[in-house]
Amino acid sequence: MPVFRTAFNGYSVKFSPFLENRLAVPTSQNFGMVGNGRQYILDLTPNGLVQVAAFDTPDSLYDCSWSEENENILVSASGDGSIKVWDLSAPPMANPVSNRQEHAHEVASVDWNMVRKDSFLSSSWDDTIRLWTLDSPHSLRTFAEHSYCVYNACWNPRHADIFASASGDCTLRIWDVRQPRSTYVIPGHEMEILTCDWNKYNEFMLASGSVDKSIKIWDVRSPRQELTRMLGHTYAVRRVKFSPHKESLMVSCSYDMTVCLWDFRQPEDALLARLNHHTEFAVGVDMSVLVEGLLASTSWDESVYVWQMGMDPRAA
Amino acid sequence: MAFRDLVMGGAGCAVPGQDGASSSNPLGGLADSIIGSASKTQERIREMPGLAGASQAGPQFGRNGPLTSLPGSEFNQAQWHDGQVPEYMRGFQSADPREFTDAWNQSVERWPPPPQLSTVPGNQEGALFSEFDSIYGQQAGPSGAPLLDAPPQRVLNNFLHSFFDSSRTNAPFPAVRLPELGLSQADKRRIRDRSHIMGRHIFADKGDTFVDSQVNGLLHSLDIDESLGAQTRGPLAGQIPEFEQLWKEGFAQSNMQVVPRPPMSLGTQWANEFHSQVGPSGAPQGWADEFDNLQTGNNWANQMQEQQSLSHLRNGQMGNMAGMEQTRSLVQTLSQNQDPKFQSSKFLQFVSKMSRGELIVEDNQVKSATTNADAWANEFQQQHPESWAAEFTAGEHQFRGDTWANEFARGKPEPVTTNDAWVDEFSKLGVKDWADEFGDQMARGALGDDVSSEWVDSYDQFVEESVRGEQMKAGSSRFVYQFADNNPYVGHPNPLKEGQELFRRGLLSEAVLALEAEVLKNPDNAEGWRLLGITHAENDDDRQAIASMVKARDADPSNLEVLLALGVSHTNELEQDEALRYLRGWLQHHPKYGALVPGNVSEQLIPSEVEGLFLEAAQMSPEDSDIHTVLGVIYNLSRNYVKAISSFERALQLKPRDYSLWNKLGATQANSSRSAEAIYAYQEALDLKPNYVRAWSNMGIGYANQGLYEESIRYYVRALEMNPKADNAWQYLRISLSIASRNDLLDAVERKDLSALAKEFPL
Repeated sequence: MPVFRTAFNGYSVKFSPFLENRLAVPTSQNFGMVGNGRQYILDLTPNGLVQVAAFDTPDSLYDCSWSEENENILVSASGDGSIKVWDLSAPPMANPVSNRQEHAHEVASVDWNMVRKDSFLSSSWDDTIRLWTLDSPHSLRTFAEHSYCVYNACWNPRHADIFASASGDCTLRIWDVRQPRSTYVIPGHEMEILTCDWNKYNEFMLASGSVDKSIKIWDVRSPRQELTRMLGHTYAVRRVKFSPHKESLMVSCSYDMTVCLWDFRQPEDALLARLNHHTEFAVGVDMSVLVEGLLASTSWDESVYVWQMGMDPRAA
Repeated sequence: MAFRDLVMGGAGCAVPGQDGASSSNPLGGLADSIIGSASKTQERIREMPGLAGASQAGPQFGRNGPLTSLPGSEFNQAQWHDGQVPEYMRGFQSADPREFTDAWNQSVERWPPPPQLSTVPGNQEGALFSEFDSIYGQQAGPSGAPLLDAPPQRVLNNFLHSFFDSSRTNAPFPAVRLPELGLSQADKRRIRDRSHIMGRHIFADKGDTFVDSQVNGLLHSLDIDESLGAQTRGPLAGQIPEFEQLWKEGFAQSNMQVVPRPPMSLGTQWANEFHSQVGPSGAPQGWADEFDNLQTGNNWANQMQEQQSLSHLRNGQMGNMAGMEQTRSLVQTLSQNQDPKFQSSKFLQFVSKMSRGELIVEDNQVKSATTNADAWANEFQQQHPESWAAEFTAGEHQFRGDTWANEFARGKPEPVTTNDAWVDEFSKLGVKDWADEFGDQMARGALGDDVSSEWVDSYDQFVEESVRGEQMKAGSSRFVYQFADNNPYVGHPNPLKEGQELFRRGLLSEAVLALEAEVLKNPDNAEGWRLLGITHAENDDDRQAIASMVKARDADPSNLEVLLALGVSHTNELEQDEALRYLRGWLQHHPKYGALVPGNVSEQLIPSEVEGLFLEAAQMSPEDSDIHTVLGVIYNLSRNYVKAISSFERALQLKPRDYSLWNKLGATQANSSRSAEAIYAYQEALDLKPNYVRAWSNMGIGYANQGLYEESIRYYVRALEMNPKADNAWQYLRISLSIASRNDLLDAVERKDLSALAKEFPL
């Protein structure tokens, strides 16, 4: 399956929700420690992965998210605390079409609201989460309850106002933007939590991945105890993602350089596959919404792989 | 609708001057088509779970309101400074124009107003939006920062890679001297903050001490001051202050019985980790390995601690040793790691580079911020810190050149003191003992049995070579002068005169032979030794220069130049007390300034007092360039490079033709990150003395510091053509070739084939 070489170290990969062959890959020079960023837009063609556009930024890019209401709009999370809005239909000189500089530290994640489609979230190392729309140049709201970096914030796929956040303060929080404070606090792991994701079929089910190497599945209504815990990564879990097509299917990537596929319904035998195609920390993984079983991953090894589940990503 | 505004606003920026060109704007059509296609494609994902269920509110989450505005925005009071804002916020889709009137008016002066689509309601936002874009676009466009693609970028990248890679090896991250990478303060702050946070994700298993030492190694190597700028985001240790309260609130709110589990101290994590994870029956294969790793990690933490306290105990003298200690442990740890992925990692390349001497492991002590930047020592190699001494002696010769013949004629008393001081000094370092011990441990098989892969072998070899080197230095051989074989000048009627003549003509290698003949004939001739030391120094051969200078001191313990040279050599070794003692001794023995030094010299040396003595001397005779030169050296000792540079500049005003002073000025400028100016100073030195080998190689260093590696190679090669024995220059040449991706020429370096190198890199 196709592989694409990026100039910088990959940080995330996201399938377009509109075009089944399109991906966005934010990358950073020097492993995101210092230097520039570059937002790649790639198309899957019969000739492999082809670069459609690339936008350079003054600082590292850690994450990106496609707009849910327009196929040409993409937002990227930058190390300088800014959020860049790109418009693929605008001339290159006009990009970024917007630059939102409000976070005081690195922006770790961005996530577009799948239900409302007009708003998105950003989470930052400044311990806060911000709520944005494209219409307003300012953030609409700041959620400041975490006491350490917020590495991830993601909308509930069914409820327009509900989102979850994962933080280095070892907690998950569940928020309802109609409420003044967070609704639930889940002391999810004993070490920093780097990622979380909602199940697409069960509105109460949340997964979290942590520096403690484990992935936990939660019913957010009973945060005292996780539903299940999945072990297998040998370093911090960097990203988890529920399948959009199968309720119990998950994919994760880790600093142990592997991408793992899981079925959390089989607690004794949850690990379906461990993929070894990356040679450095695997930090980005996604499952296509439009094509069932299509997976993408990226890594600090400066590669982007797209493959069909069940295949070897490296198979030509 | 919102998107249409966005597109039109954005396009407006690119089409200045079309006021209100709405529908006639060709980009309007484009926007329509885009929006059209967007809505079409949206159809396809309607079937997706979650999207369809948007209106089915879950009982726990309450009722979903109509999607007219984002609810909850009014809670964000802190965000809005003026009272009117919440009103604006309640319906952000119809913006309050007052909010932005001022900004807008201002922007009109600088920016042509974008075209507006009158058919789209609420389009003022679009206009305002584009206005912000214009401003932001100017500030933060991709053109705002240059891409870091210069050669230093490759060094930095490889280096950072080895930092992150060290998570897999459990090996300590050694502080390594890197060429100047031209990192700005902001860059350094970024690296510091991000390495603190990301390091904790990657090294989490190994405890806080390990994380700190890794990060310190990184920061030290990149010359990043821990106390730089804003406060670092620290680790999460123990209870988070706010956590409990937040928890209680959350608890009260959700009305559930949940016991909070505060994060544990990371330091004790691995043991618990092991206990908690050994339990599950479904533990995947590979857990045993995992445990091994963890154990190693713990060993490491202990070792690191021991090492740190050790080096702290013995203070600065242990720098080199700490580095070697780490190297030993590194080899030990690496040899245990059989992970094939690791074996093919770039870390391997990093290590093997070290084994070839392309990277030099340096003093890895965790130092306080003020002593963090070992720029002085860094300028020259760790192994040859004496260079400045020799260097300085060369300068001395220049000032005193007219009188040395007289001094020689005067004759010398038998040396009263032996080199006891040196022996004592040296045994304090304990390098030999340590080296022996290290050798023993190596022999006992600390490396393990299955050291099979090539790179470990080569690393092993490197370590052994280093040990041998240390033993050489540690043993009596360090200051034993190595005479050349078959010296044609032996038997010459007056080799000293011949040597002087050759030195003046700039034939340094020949001059060395003649002067060797002289000191073989008259071993007690301090002047012969001194001139020999100067010649070696100018020829960039530090070891021989120091050996000569020690002999000169044996022959004449009160010789001013020699005292000064020794003061400088201790400055190089960062032995402040010794350096100051010799420098004060210089002043004491000086016929003019001796009276300045109080009669009963205290053993306690305070840098500011010695500096004060020289400042007094400078007041006495402000036209004495020697005094300014010594002040420059003292300021170098305290790393006060600004003052050091002005002292050398003052000395140069008085002696503009002193090439060694120009060289000192250049070296100091290079140390204070002013390598471009250093090039100029070195050029002055070379204009005055074209055969000044040291200045040629320093010039190379100056270019390398600026990332101009190819340029630096030319200068190293020129220096080596003049004196192939200049070991430092060979080392620097290897580094530059490697960074310039000319590894193909490393063979030529091994063969010492200068003609091949000069052909590739003509000057």
